[in-house]
Amino acid sequence: MYRKITHKPGLTALVSLSLFAFAGGSAVADSAKKVDYTKMSAEQLAEYLIFEAKGFEVDDKTQEGTTVRDRLMQDELQKTCSKLKGNPVDGDTAEKVTQMAMKSMVYPEGGIKLGDWKKGQALAQNAFGFRVGHNVDDHSKKETGGMCMNCHQLEQSKVERSGTLGVSLIGYGKTLGTDEDAKKHAYQVIYNPHSLFPCSNMPRFGANGVLTQEKIAHLLAYLLDPESPVNK
Amino acid sequence: MNNAKKLMWAAKRLLFAAPVAALALTGTANAQCENCTNEDPKQILLKLIDETKSPYLSQSPQNLMMMDDNPAYFVVDDGKELFEKKGGPKNVSLEQCDFGKGPGVIDGAYAEMPRYFEDTGKVMHLETRLVHCMQTLQGFEKGDKKLKTGNDIRAMMAYIGARSNGYKWNPPMDHPLEKAMRDAGEVMFYRRSSVLDFSCNTCHGEAGKKIRASVLPSVNEPKEWTKAVSWPAKRVGRGTNARTPSQRVLGCYWQMRKGKINGRSDAAIAMFSFWTDKARGQPAILPDLKR
Repeated sequence: MYRKITHKPGLTALVSLSLFAFAGGSAVADSAKKVDYTKMSAEQLAEYLIFEAKGFEVDDKTQEGTTVRDRLMQDELQKTCSKLKGNPVDGDTAEKVTQMAMKSMVYPEGGIKLGDWKKGQALAQNAFGFRVGHNVDDHSKKETGGMCMNCHQLEQSKVERSGTLGVSLIGYGKTLGTDEDAKKHAYQVIYNPHSLFPCSNMPRFGANGVLTQEKIAHLLAYLLDPESPVNK
Repeated sequence: MNNAKKLMWAAKRLLFAAPVAALALTGTANAQCENCTNEDPKQILLKLIDETKSPYLSQSPQNLMMMDDNPAYFVVDDGKELFEKKGGPKNVSLEQCDFGKGPGVIDGAYAEMPRYFEDTGKVMHLETRLVHCMQTLQGFEKGDKKLKTGNDIRAMMAYIGARSNGYKWNPPMDHPLEKAMRDAGEVMFYRRSSVLDFSCNTCHGEAGKKIRASVLPSVNEPKEWTKAVSWPAKRVGRGTNARTPSQRVLGCYWQMRKGKINGRSDAAIAMFSFWTDKARGQPAILPDLKR
């Protein structure tokens, strides 16, 4: 999903600089080649500023064992959807993206099961996890969540502090039911929303490894179980 | 006291009370922010709310009430003192710093940043330009502790910001570098990445949307966006200093689970270039008061 680039411009510069000095060369050339921003496309310049011009602390480690560089490198889906620049997705892009997303679909062994809606409720309100930089989320200290309530309304009594970036899910299970089709649909949305909503703003909670199968099962219960507050 | 004297005493008190009462009722132009240009930041915000009825702009009646007493106004006062004080190895004040409108001209300068500077050949923003002046005018060496983004620099930035309060955002786009940086910032704004596939547009692409309890500003609504980019500002409950644009963008990239952006990098300046361009023509609210 994330390409790893190996890049050592600093080391190369240092080596060439020392060679110059050793050879007794006259005025040592500026080891950092002056880059002309106006000769690059906007996309090229953005990549350069992010990865090559100390725009970000790209060597910082992430909780999933990669680096910030890996996080900032775009995969095919991100590149494709970024091109829209906020505009609605066109037919060709939609088809390309939904196909890409369907290919990534991984279903749990033994079939899609509903977990414990109480645990799902806690996960829906929990926005902890995966933040790096000046304040790193320590996954060994606290459970990570699905942060669903950041964007979605799920319970009527909590709408004041529920986001509206996503659609309201109040009564979601009442509408969908709990049969195999319902579970599959809800699972697909959480695992990779682009399978049904190409270039959606919603994260790929499953495909990107943000939520485990166990956590998804609990969230499915929270969404679909008739006893869940979502459906009361 | 005999009756005549009592009458005189009462009349005198009334005479003194009247102008004070008048002051309290009307308020002078900058009764609350002494060093802000134009009308008070609160008046600017109230006018924008009146024009738009925007849920983003009007989401915090408490903040509106507190704006008259924004602690950032004191930070601005401190910043003015620091800015005008002689300092550094050359024992010179920063008053002759050129923020783009000529040495010594600060009114309206911040509203025209980021911009290209001939003397450095770079597009610079307030923080990098201020640090540049601390080096060239005051003689601070690169790496000096005083050049780090501490409370002194933040206070001075708040002061320079306050001198653009009410000015319309108007960063120049004549120089090819200015355009290049702005366009790169635009790519960054829409650039989806990292484990949550977020871009800035995910949260700031549509008006009236909420994240949890907060209504978000839309980049497509200049009258909302002008408040969004009005930094330095005091964030309620977060320390006594005024937060800078770099601190804001750091917080954004942190929430997006992307990584630490370097506040004085060209990446940050490209972002500031784009986000200021999107507020073009609207009045800056400086210093602002935020959640």
